[in-house]
Amino acid sequence: MTVNFVLNGKAVSLVIAANRRLIDMLRDSLGLTGTKEGCGIGECGACTVLMNGEAVNSCLILAGQVEGAEIVTIEAIAKHGTLHPVQENFLQYGAVQCGFCTPGMVLSTYALLQTNPQPSEHEIAAAISGNLCRCTGYKQILEAVQKTVEEMNSAPSEHGRS
Amino acid sequence: MIPQIEFVRPKTLHDALSILAESGDGARVIAGGTDVIPGFQQGDLRLKSARTLVDIHHLPELKNVETRDGGLAIGAGITFTDLAKHPIIAAEYPLLKQAALTVGNVQIRNRATLAGNFVNNAACADSVPPLLVYNAVLRIQSHTSVRETPLSDFLLSPNQVQLNAGELVTNIFLPKLSASHSGEFYKLGRRRGTAISRITLAVLLKVTENRIEDLRIASGAVTPIGMRFIDLEKVALGKTIDKSFLKSLANELGEHVLSKTGIRWSTPYKLPVLQQMFFQLLCRVRGCSGEAIR
Ligand SMILES: Cc1cc2nc3c(=O)[nH]c(=O)nc-3n(C[C@H](O)[C@H](O)[C@H](O)COP(=O)(O)OP(=O)(O)OC[C@H]3O[C@@H](n4cnc5c(N)ncnc54)[C@H](O)[C@@H]3O)c2cc1C
Ligand code: FES
Ligand code: FES
Repeated sequence: MTVNFVLNGKAVSLVIAANRRLIDMLRDSLGLTGTKEGCGIGECGACTVLMNGEAVNSCLILAGQVEGAEIVTIEAIAKHGTLHPVQENFLQYGAVQCGFCTPGMVLSTYALLQTNPQPSEHEIAAAISGNLCRCTGYKQILEAVQKTVEEMNSAPSEHGRS
Repeated sequence: MIPQIEFVRPKTLHDALSILAESGDGARVIAGGTDVIPGFQQGDLRLKSARTLVDIHHLPELKNVETRDGGLAIGAGITFTDLAKHPIIAAEYPLLKQAALTVGNVQIRNRATLAGNFVNNAACADSVPPLLVYNAVLRIQSHTSVRETPLSDFLLSPNQVQLNAGELVTNIFLPKLSASHSGEFYKLGRRRGTAISRITLAVLLKVTENRIEDLRIASGAVTPIGMRFIDLEKVALGKTIDKSFLKSLANELGEHVLSKTGIRWSTPYKLPVLQQMFFQLLCRVRGCSGEAIR
C-alpha cells in the first residue's frame, strides 16, 4: 500500500505493509528515531507526534490512516540548529533525565502552546497527563513549561511563530 | 503485533457501507483505533477473525453536528476533543461534555470517537451514562437499511450490542430537553490523570414547585453495563424533594446496584461511595449543600 503525507513540511510517499503503524513509518522506514516507543498501547505518550496540529499517539495510528495528513515530529521542533524555547527550558530546569519521555513531552507542550499561549498550571498538567515520566516526578517539567510561557509572553516577537 | 491485514479507506459513507456489505465476517471497522489497536496488541479474541479493516475516521458524513426536531444529531465519528469544544453540546448537553473531558487524555481524546466508545459495550465507557440520561437514539445504517434504536436497547450485555454485520452507527440523536432540566456527571477513577472508571454516575432532574417532575439516573463501571434505573426513577416521580427523601433514594440506589452486581470484593468500598456520590450530585443540582448522608 502507498501512503502519501506531509512530514515536517515535506511531502513523503511511502510503500508500506498495511499492518504497520505511524511510529513504524517514522522510525523504521524513515529513520526518524526521535519518536520513542514505550508501551505500544496508548498508555505512555512516548510516541507522541502532531497530526494536523493535534498531539496523538503514533503507536495507535495505522499507516493507511495517515494518508493526506500533516505530521510533525520532534526532529522539526528545533529551527536552524536552535532549540525551541520549550526544549531549552527542559534542559535548563532539569526536566530531562533519561530523556525517553522528552520528545513526547515537548510535543504535547508544543501543541498546547499553539492553541493556548497562556496556559494555567492546571492546563499544563492536563496537557501532559497522557505523557508518563518515570524519572522527574513532573515538577521540573511543569516548571520548564511555566518558564517558557513567561518568556514567550514577554517576548512575543521572538518566538511568536514557533 | 498487528496481524497481516487488508486496509481500506473508503472515500464516502456510501462506499464504506458497500465495502462492509461485500466483505462479510472478516471486516472490522476502525475509527480512532484507541480500542482496536491495543486490542490487536493484547490478543483480543474479538479481533481474531479480522481480515480487513475499514477506516471510517476521516469520513465527513460522520463528523456533522446539526440541530434536528429541536434536538441535536451528533455524527458518530466525532472525536471527544471536537465534542467537548462544540458550543451547543456545552450549552444544552453539558454532562456529555463533562464526560468527554474525562476520557483518557489529550492524545486519546484527539482520536477516540463517540460511537467507538459504546459499540464494544464496556462498562467503563464514560460517554454512556450521560447519553442514557439524555435518552440518546442511535441511527444505524447498512448498505440497504436505516434504523433508529435507543441506546438503552442497543446495549445488551457486556460486550454485546444490537449491531449486525455490515452496519455502522452513523449518528446519535439527543432529544430536546426543557430548560429546567439540570444534571451532574461524576467519574471516579483510581487517579486523576488517565484513568479507567471505577464508578460513573449521571443524574438529570426536573423539579416543579419542589416536586420531582422528572428524574433520570444512569450508572457505568459499577454495574455490568451502563444502565438506567427506571424503577427508582418512577419511585421519585411527584415526591417532594428534600434531603431526607434524597437520602432514602440514595440508599435504595445502593440496593438496586447490589441486585445487578451481587456482592463483590469491592462492594464494601464502592457501594457507600456510590450512595454518597449520588446524594451529593442531587444536592448539587438542587443547589443545597452536599453534607454527608449519615
Ligand atoms: C490510554 C487509554 C485511555 C483510555 N481512557 C478511557 C477513558 O477514560 N474512558 C473511556 O470511556 N474510554 C477510554 N479509553 C477507551 C477508548 O479510547 C474509547 O472507548 C474510545 O472512545 C474508542 O473510540 P475509537 O474511535 O478509538 O474506537 P476504535 O478503536 O476505532 O473502535 C472501537 C470499536 O468500535 C467499532 N466502531 C467504531 N466506530 C463505529 C461506528 N461508527 N459504527 C459501528 N462500529 C464502530 C469498531 O469496529 C471497534 O469494534 C481509553 C483508551 C486508551 C488506549
Ligand atoms: S508507545 Fe505509544 S503511547 Fe506508549
Ligand atoms: S526523563 Fe526519564 S522518563 Fe522522563
